[in-house]
Amino acid sequence: MRYTRLLTILAAVLLYLVLGALVFGWLESSREEWAHRELLTSRMAFLQNHSCVTPYSLREFTEKVVDAIEAGVDARSTSNYTSRWDPSNAFFFCGTIITTIGFGNISPKTKGGQLFCIFYALVGIPMFGILLAGVGDHLGTLLRRAVAKIETLFLRKGVKPTSVRVISAVFSILIGCLVFIAMPTMVFQEVESWSLLEAVYFVVITLTTVGFGDYVAENRRDGAPLYKPLVWLWIVFGLAYFASILTMIGNWLRVLSKKTRAEMEELRAHATDWTQNIQNMSMDFRIPVPLDLNDPFQLQRRRRRKRHRHHRHHRHHRHHRHPRLSVVGLAHGISLDADVVRENGHLILGWPACKYTPGSDIRSEALSQSRSRRRLDGAYEVRPGSRLTVGPASRSVSRLELKPPSRPGSRTISRSTSESGTGSVSGSETPSKSWSEYEYDSNSRNSEDLESGAEGTLRSLGSQKDVPVVVVDSCSPPHPSLLDFFGENLAYIDESSDALSDRIKPAGQNRQRKAKRRSMTRQIPHSYPIGLQKEISNELQPPSHPPTPPPPT
Amino acid sequence: MSTTFRSCFVPTGFILGYIAYLLLGALVFSAIERPVEETLKSDLSSLKAEFLNLSCVNATALETFLEKVLQANKYGVSVLENATLPTNWDLASALFFANTMVTTVGYGHSTPLSDEGKAFSIVYALIGVPFTMLVLTACVQRLMHPLTYGPISMCQRRAGLQPRTASVVHFIVLLFLVVLGFFVVPALVFSTIEETWSFLDSFYFCFISLCTIGLGDFVPAEKPGQRLRALYKISVMVYLFVGLMVMFLVLRTFHKLADVHGWTAFFQLPSYEEEDEDREPIIEQEPDDESPEAEKASVKPLDPSSQVSYNSINR
Repeated sequence: MRYTRLLTILAAVLLYLVLGALVFGWLESSREEWAHRELLTSRMAFLQNHSCVTPYSLREFTEKVVDAIEAGVDARSTSNYTSRWDPSNAFFFCGTIITTIGFGNISPKTKGGQLFCIFYALVGIPMFGILLAGVGDHLGTLLRRAVAKIETLFLRKGVKPTSVRVISAVFSILIGCLVFIAMPTMVFQEVESWSLLEAVYFVVITLTTVGFGDYVAENRRDGAPLYKPLVWLWIVFGLAYFASILTMIGNWLRVLSKKTRAEMEELRAHATDWTQNIQNMSMDFRIPVPLDLNDPFQLQRRRRRKRHRHHRHHRHHRHHRHPRLSVVGLAHGISLDADVVRENGHLILGWPACKYTPGSDIRSEALSQSRSRRRLDGAYEVRPGSRLTVGPASRSVSRLELKPPSRPGSRTISRSTSESGTGSVSGSETPSKSWSEYEYDSNSRNSEDLESGAEGTLRSLGSQKDVPVVVVDSCSPPHPSLLDFFGENLAYIDESSDALSDRIKPAGQNRQRKAKRRSMTRQIPHSYPIGLQKEISNELQPPSHPPTPPPPT
Repeated sequence: MSTTFRSCFVPTGFILGYIAYLLLGALVFSAIERPVEETLKSDLSSLKAEFLNLSCVNATALETFLEKVLQANKYGVSVLENATLPTNWDLASALFFANTMVTTVGYGHSTPLSDEGKAFSIVYALIGVPFTMLVLTACVQRLMHPLTYGPISMCQRRAGLQPRTASVVHFIVLLFLVVLGFFVVPALVFSTIEETWSFLDSFYFCFISLCTIGLGDFVPAEKPGQRLRALYKISVMVYLFVGLMVMFLVLRTFHKLADVHGWTAFFQLPSYEEEDEDREPIIEQEPDDESPEAEKASVKPLDPSSQVSYNSINR
């Protein structure tokens, strides 16, 4: 990460702190003043009513009381003495130390206690960290298995995979919220007689390990003996759950920041587009090319190339028009530049869902007859970009779009695959498809679309103004893409917490889950050659980084 | 099958070990602290009795007064001030409070009192905690190159050490420097500035704060007559933030060390690996030419499938 970026992030944190400080100051000072005034008046009243007490002796007394309070002694009850350091409370205290919550309602006052606390924490905190990692992993797996069943249910009903993913993510969050936040809140309300806000406040402050200590679930009345251990268990599991939620939020923030960076880089990367195209073209000579120089489609292809050039400028405009949907604009701005694809390829991968729905056939036809050439180009740009998963896909795209002689050849290829393609397109919705099959389908589908689109363009050259433009927008990425964006990150979170248990399971079981996450790109280190990529991605699931696209071809 | 067994065995073993550790701590703490608490308690009750005997105050009046005192103390209002009270919510203090909340230290010496404050702090913490963790992680990633990869590769090249020994040596040196620079020296500073803190108290405070435990029994800049209070609080804030970053760095270095030595595979933890996407060389000019090789030399991930560090955000 560059220094400028780091500095901006630091500045953002500082700004956040200042904002929080201002708000807290405004909210709290009046109340604090009131409390202070109350105290002063009661003190005056006490001194007046009991004139034999001198202010000096009162001050001494209150000093002692305050000391005792800070030591954790409850100055009110003098009758029945219950130590705050009996083993069960001390157990709870150790728990707060190790989880770094640190309430502070009791704390060691002796030298020996403080020293021991230091060494205890030194060993205990890493240990708890390891435990938390393991618990979180298993918890994530459990949660996802439960949600996966719901997912299959939805998928069978024919809901789009991306929305299924988002639904499942929302479900898992909801289930987690219910078990770890809602239920304890109600329990605390009941047992500690707090208000709802106080209970939620306690839950959040505890589970983020801030742990102020103004509210502590200790239940000093003699409640059920199981209360304290249950609270401790809840803290452990709740921490694991919260850690995954916070990681998710952090990844969203991180991916968002990377998106903006990629977007700005993309404007620079246009210059390398053509070189990349030429490189791709040079790789296409494997395909037998029936020579037909008078091919009318060749003319059309040349025309499309020009439009391609025009459209690059148009894409810039598209960018500026939708600054908010920078994610989307980025996706729109897909070029065959692998570097740019690297930034946002994973986003595009979600788009195929848009194309695979039954309605998309009609849409693709309508798209081909859309109003302006530019919009048509936009659609073309969009869809080829959507196929850029790994190398082979991009090659196929470039083959179709840019290389005039190979076009008829690709057509034959697409026709041959179209049968299998149509046969398996419907099946692509089911989770049981493997990664490579999916890609192949996408290729065939892509070629199909382009074919029909190209033909449509030819036919409708004169009638391009007829069709309403709205068709393009309806299939345009914004909504599925945003869904995908969140869905993929959620899936990433799921994946990262799922990794270890997945590693244990046999690969066969992995197929199902893996195919559902087929739009997740695997994190493949740069050092791996391309040939190994597919194998690795077909292998057992490593949890990838926040969704990153594959390295360049 | 053995892997499944191991995957069940290791976490259960950990849980049991964890419970045993907690029990041990509970017993030790209660053995140490209980007598002290008892004496304090008896002192207090005798003081109360004295007070009641000497004066015309009756028990109930005293009790109500004490209730008020406790209430005010809960609000962070010290009962010993007379007229001018430095508020807990001026800008510097509120900034300090926001910082303790966002870094999850959470002393608790001043807490939101009003309902709106509590609601706001819920939202503020939910957004601010991952945000801060993200920032800290990003900074640490950046710092890893000059502070960890650089020295390790240098060790390997100049001294010709193996990667494993080089990483161990580096870790020990780093630990020593961190303890010296972020615990001992600040403890000395605190013990001189805060009159009532001994060296052990200050050291204890530094440790408890930098581990984000934040018990709150010792909080700097809370004395009534503190000079330059705002400046003091801000500098403590900076110290906490930088110290936290350094702790993360140490943790990451340790994680890498565990990777190199194969401990992570044994515990089946997510192994550490480089965050490659932050060093994408093609578009931006990353000046690190050396570190990729050094990194490959010093980090041999034991599993071909790369895994992300699970706690990279949390810890």
